[in-house]
Amino acid sequence: MSALTAVWAAFVPYLPAVVIALLTLFFAWFVSFLVGRLPKRGTPQMSRAGRTLSVVVVGVIGGSLVLQALGVSPDILFLIVALLGATTLVALREPLSNFGSKYFSDIYMPFKVGDTIQVQAFSGKVIEINAMTTILLSENEQLVSVPNVWMIRDVVINTSPQAWKELSIPVSISGNIDLPAFESDLLKTLSKLRTRLDPRFPPVLTTKARSPQSTDLTLTLMIRRPEDRDSITVEVNKRLTEVLERVRGVRR
Amino acid sequence: MLDEANRSSDSLEGLREGIDYRFSPGGVTRMVYPLIRRLLKKKVLSEAHWVALNPHGPRTLRLGGMTLHNVSIDESRMEGYGAVKEAIWGRIHEIDATDTHDDLFWTEAFSEYAYYNRVTAELIRKLDEEHDFDVFYIHDFQQLPIGHMVGGLKPKVFRWHIPFDASVIPEQWRALLTTYLDSYDVVIVSTRKYVDSLTALQPKGTLLTLYPYVDPDDYSRPDATRVAALCSQLGIAPKDEIALIVGRMDPIKGQDFAIAALARLAKKYPRLKLVLVGNGSFSGSAGGLGMSKSGKWRTHLELMVKTAKLDGRVIFTGHLLQDDLDCLYERCRFALVPSVKEGFGLVAVESWLHGKPVIVTKAAGIAEIIRDGVNGLLFDPEVPGELARKMTLLLNDRSGPLRARLAKNGRTLAKKVSLDAAEKAEGDMLRKVVES
Repeated sequence: MSALTAVWAAFVPYLPAVVIALLTLFFAWFVSFLVGRLPKRGTPQMSRAGRTLSVVVVGVIGGSLVLQALGVSPDILFLIVALLGATTLVALREPLSNFGSKYFSDIYMPFKVGDTIQVQAFSGKVIEINAMTTILLSENEQLVSVPNVWMIRDVVINTSPQAWKELSIPVSISGNIDLPAFESDLLKTLSKLRTRLDPRFPPVLTTKARSPQSTDLTLTLMIRRPEDRDSITVEVNKRLTEVLERVRGVRR
Repeated sequence: MLDEANRSSDSLEGLREGIDYRFSPGGVTRMVYPLIRRLLKKKVLSEAHWVALNPHGPRTLRLGGMTLHNVSIDESRMEGYGAVKEAIWGRIHEIDATDTHDDLFWTEAFSEYAYYNRVTAELIRKLDEEHDFDVFYIHDFQQLPIGHMVGGLKPKVFRWHIPFDASVIPEQWRALLTTYLDSYDVVIVSTRKYVDSLTALQPKGTLLTLYPYVDPDDYSRPDATRVAALCSQLGIAPKDEIALIVGRMDPIKGQDFAIAALARLAKKYPRLKLVLVGNGSFSGSAGGLGMSKSGKWRTHLELMVKTAKLDGRVIFTGHLLQDDLDCLYERCRFALVPSVKEGFGLVAVESWLHGKPVIVTKAAGIAEIIRDGVNGLLFDPEVPGELARKMTLLLNDRSGPLRARLAKNGRTLAKKVSLDAAEKAEGDMLRKVVES
C-alpha cells in the first residue's frame, strides 16, 4: 500500500502534463475530424493535407503546453523545430521543391499518366509521375525524366485529344466499404449531372491500388463545357462525400 | 440450375439430370463446359474456377473437376441488370429500331448492371488472392465490364458470343465499350466478319476469330424404341415428315419464318410437321431473370399457328433432355436455323453430327462457312418464300441424294467446329496469352 502511495506521489507532479498530452491527442483528432467534414471545394488530397496540417499545429501547441507543465521552457521546442526545419530545407532544397511540385501537380496540373504532354523542349507520353520527376516516353521511345518543379514553373501543354474534357478525381475508400454498392450509388447520383457531362462518356470508376485497409480508385468524367470544370469538380466531390456517408452505413 | 431440394448440395455427384438439376441445353455453357472439362483432362489447365450468375444455385459447387461459384444479387438489382442486358442484346440484334437506347449507360438500371459486374469482379479478385490464377477468361457481352473492374496485371481474355456489328452500336456507347474492351489482352469473336467490324472500335488487345464448337461425344444415336416412344408422346406419326428447330422461345430465333414457310407448304406436303424445341433462356424464363419475352413469343407463335390453320402441324416441346433431343434429330428429315440474327448457330453442327441436312439463315454467323448446296442450304430471311423454296428442295429429294450430300459434307465441316479443333485453338491461345 505504501509503495503504491509512493508511486502515486511521484506521479502527481507529472499529472498535469499527462492530462494536457491526452487532451492534445483528443483535440488533434477532433480538429482533424472537423476539417475532414468541412464542405469540400478541392480534391481529396487537399482535404487530407488540411487534416494533417491541423494535427501538426495542434500537436506543436499541445507539445509546448506539456513542456510548460513539466517546467521546461517551450522555447527549446520551438528552437529545435526551427533548426530542424531550416536544416532540412537547405539540405533537401531541390528534392523538396520537386516533391512539393509533385504534390501541387497532383492537385492542379491538367495531366495524368497516359496523357501526352509537352514541357519546354520535351514531349511524350506520361508513363510515371513519382515524387521527384515525371517520366515521359518520347516518340522515338526515349525515356525523358522531367523534374516536377518544371511542371509548376513552366508552361505544360497537354496534347492528348479531348484532354480539356477529362476530369480525373482520385477516390480512396476504406477497405470495409462495399465497393459494388459504392459504385452503383455513385453512378446513380452522377447521372443527375448528365446535362453537364459529355453523353458519349459515362462516368468510369477504375481501381488503381488495393490494400486490406483501403482501395484507391479514379473516377473519370468528361465535361461538356470547359468553363464548368471547377463547378463540376466541387459538385462531384460533394456527391462523392454523400455517397461515402451513405455506404458507410452499409459496411460489408 | 439446381432444383429447390438440392440447393445446399456442393457436388452434382449422385444427383440426376432432369430431376435434381437441369443442364443448360444451349448457349455459352453448352460450349464452354466441355472445353474446360477437356482442357483439365489434357492438363492444359491444372485448375479451373467458373464464376456465374445463378441466384438459385448453392454458393459453390464441384462440377467435373472444376469449382463453380454462383453469384447472387438482390432481386431489385437483378431487374436493372436484366433490363440493361436485354437492351444491349436487343440493340446488337436490332430488335427494336425505334428505341436505340442511346442513353442506356446513364440510366438507373445501368448502376445495377454495374453492381452485378462489380460483385462478380470482386469475387474473382478474392478467388485470385487465394488461387493466384494465370488467366481470366470472361464470356459474353453482358460481362464485358468485368475485365476493367478486376484490373491488375494478369492476362485477360474476353469472348463475345453474340453477333458484332459496329454500325448498330450507338455513338453514346462506343467510348465505354472501348474502355472495357481495352482491358483485355485478347478479344475473341465467332466469325471473321465480326472481327472486321470490331476493328472499328480499335481495341488495344489482339482480335481473334475462333469458331464456336460442340463435343461430338455428347451426341449419340438413340435406339429406335426410345425414338418411337418420344414420337408417340409428341403426336408424331411414322409417316410424318419432320422439320426441326432447336432454339429458345425468342423472336430473334425466327420460328415465325418457319411457321410462315410451313403455311405455304402445308397443302402440298400434308405430312410435313414443324417441331419447335426449347423454352426461355435464363433471361427470358421465370426461373431466371424473369423477363417475360419467351412466354409472349410462344403465345404469338401459337396465334400464328391458329390463324394459318396449322393446328396439329406445329409441335411445341418446351425444354428437352439431351437424350430426347437426340431422338428428334434422329427422326427429323432436316433441321432449320431460321434466326433473324445469330452469333453463330451451333444447332447446324448438331444436325450434321446426327447426319441430318440443315437450312440456315444467311444472318447466322455459321453462314460464313456454309456453301449453299454443298454442305447446307442458305436462305435470306428478308426474301419472302425463300425458306419455303429451300425446304421444298429437301422435301422433293425423295431418293435422298441431296440430303445425303449435304449431311456428309456437313459432317466433314463439323470437324472444324468440334471440341477437338477448339481444344487446339483455345489451348494455343491460352498458352500464348499466359506465356507472352
